[in-house]
Amino acid sequence: MNSYLKKYFSVIRMTWIQALEYKANAIVGTFAIFSGLAIEFLIWKQVFQAQDLQEIRGFTFNGLMAYIFLCMIVGQLKSSWATSMEMIDSIRTGEMNKYLIRPISFFTYHFMMFIGHNSTFYIVYTTVLILFPIVLPGWAFPTILHVIGFIAALLISIYLSYSIYFCMVCFAFWFGEVRALVIAYNISNIVLSGQIIPLRLFPDSVRNIINLTPLQFLVDFPVSIATANLPINLWIPKMGMALFWCIIMTVTGRVIYRSGIRVYGGYGA
Amino acid sequence: MPIQVNELSKHFKMFKREAGLSGAFHSFFNRKYETFHALKDISVQIEDGEILGILGENGAGKTTLIKLLVGLLHPSSGGVNINGFTPWNRKSDFLKQISVVMGQKNQLWWDIPASESFLLNQKIYEIPETQYKNTLNELVDLLSVQDKLNVQVRRLSLGERMKMEIIAALLHRPKIVLLDEPTIGLDVISQLKIREFVKCYNEKYKTTFLLTSHYMHDIQALCKRVYVIHKGASLYDGDFEKLVNRINPKRKLIFEFSEIPDTNKTKILSEKYIFNLNDTILHAELPDKELTNLVSELFHLGIPASITMEDLPVEDTMRSFFMAPEKFLE
Repeated sequence: MNSYLKKYFSVIRMTWIQALEYKANAIVGTFAIFSGLAIEFLIWKQVFQAQDLQEIRGFTFNGLMAYIFLCMIVGQLKSSWATSMEMIDSIRTGEMNKYLIRPISFFTYHFMMFIGHNSTFYIVYTTVLILFPIVLPGWAFPTILHVIGFIAALLISIYLSYSIYFCMVCFAFWFGEVRALVIAYNISNIVLSGQIIPLRLFPDSVRNIINLTPLQFLVDFPVSIATANLPINLWIPKMGMALFWCIIMTVTGRVIYRSGIRVYGGYGA
Repeated sequence: MPIQVNELSKHFKMFKREAGLSGAFHSFFNRKYETFHALKDISVQIEDGEILGILGENGAGKTTLIKLLVGLLHPSSGGVNINGFTPWNRKSDFLKQISVVMGQKNQLWWDIPASESFLLNQKIYEIPETQYKNTLNELVDLLSVQDKLNVQVRRLSLGERMKMEIIAALLHRPKIVLLDEPTIGLDVISQLKIREFVKCYNEKYKTTFLLTSHYMHDIQALCKRVYVIHKGASLYDGDFEKLVNRINPKRKLIFEFSEIPDTNKTKILSEKYIFNLNDTILHAELPDKELTNLVSELFHLGIPASITMEDLPVEDTMRSFFMAPEKFLE
């Protein structure tokens, strides 16, 4: 392993050590997602039974449950809003000084922190995803290709989501407190990325607008691959677009960061 | 010359508002900004292996200068050259040569033992394994914290935590170390240990130290040269002892006679010198030359039982200096 990778892997290692110091928090956090799934299950069960529906816009009840369950997992894995809050605080309070005085990138350091904090989720959810086609055959992952496509789209989603948050975090250099912005984005992102209701159930006019943004690649895209709701011939062009958004957001984040660091006050010490 | 600071200035735009809810409401719609000049045209050169004390009252600009030197802030104008690097470009090779310890800021991970933070620093600074082990062992021995390495940082005392901060800052063997109030809040023993450590480390490795401290004993023990900042501007750059003598050239004398001296003779002497005499003990605070003359005359008055001459407390001297610094440097 070269020294660059060692450097950033050691950050992940530290977050693991820190998480293990507070084991109860780690365990509760990992399984909290299942409470949300239970609520979604009950709501959609009522909708299907009350209307005596066999499917909604091509979703059977089982298909919808598989979609929502995977959405929750992807939503959890890509969500770096807690890390973003920490970053905003570190800019506002001057905690950021401790990163700036070291030969380490603020962006990458916190990305690794985010990956480290989410590692327990990765382990638990990977187990769940392996068991998924065995316990519920036919609900998702019809072929191994869908598993590979899902993993690739998920990795893009994790990075893209983080880089969008990073752009917003950087406004803290000018405004100090931008948590409201992150919270507002987080709420709209949960809805508009398809994390609660599949994008396919949205009105066409709304969907057309969402398709112009990177939000479609955060949750709907990887889950649509996993549940075979996206034809295979569209995977590559869609991935190309998702990667294009990754580049756009990375460059934007870098430009904002470079301007922001010039006005950084380093307060607090 | 490892550090060259040329006409460095830094100003901040700050908004001001009146106290209270109405002030907050008013400022929400009509925010008034003021420019605060934290540093004005600072120029200073620092030699290799030097320990420079940076002095100034609260808000003088000491920490701002430190932050500029370490690359945390971008200046409004002027330049800094540290071994060929401009700090705020934050090149990796520069950051590996420098370190900073801020007495009021924690750089270690709070919830885990310091030893884990040291390991992280080893990877961040890419310190070879053997060098890391040797340096860590040496620093741990020098600061006597062997038994605290595996204790969660938040459970350490302030003094122990500061020692760990210093170890973390020195693991990569920086050429320049900036210590911003490293002894703040520490008890006298811990202060002394930190001072001894810095002195010993500087002598052994010829590391350049820049030190800010409100404890004048830190400065007196470590810094031959000081740089004084007042309201963001340079006020004095030179020998600390000379500054102290310039502010308060007096020294203190306690002369104890073996028996009560002749009253008439002491009365004559009191017309020439200012002193207090209680039975056999005479106290005087006079400039060095006058004090020497007084002592020689006191020998004619009687045989001394003991003579003590000492400098006036440096803390008191510097306090009076900071209350009206211009007065002493005209």
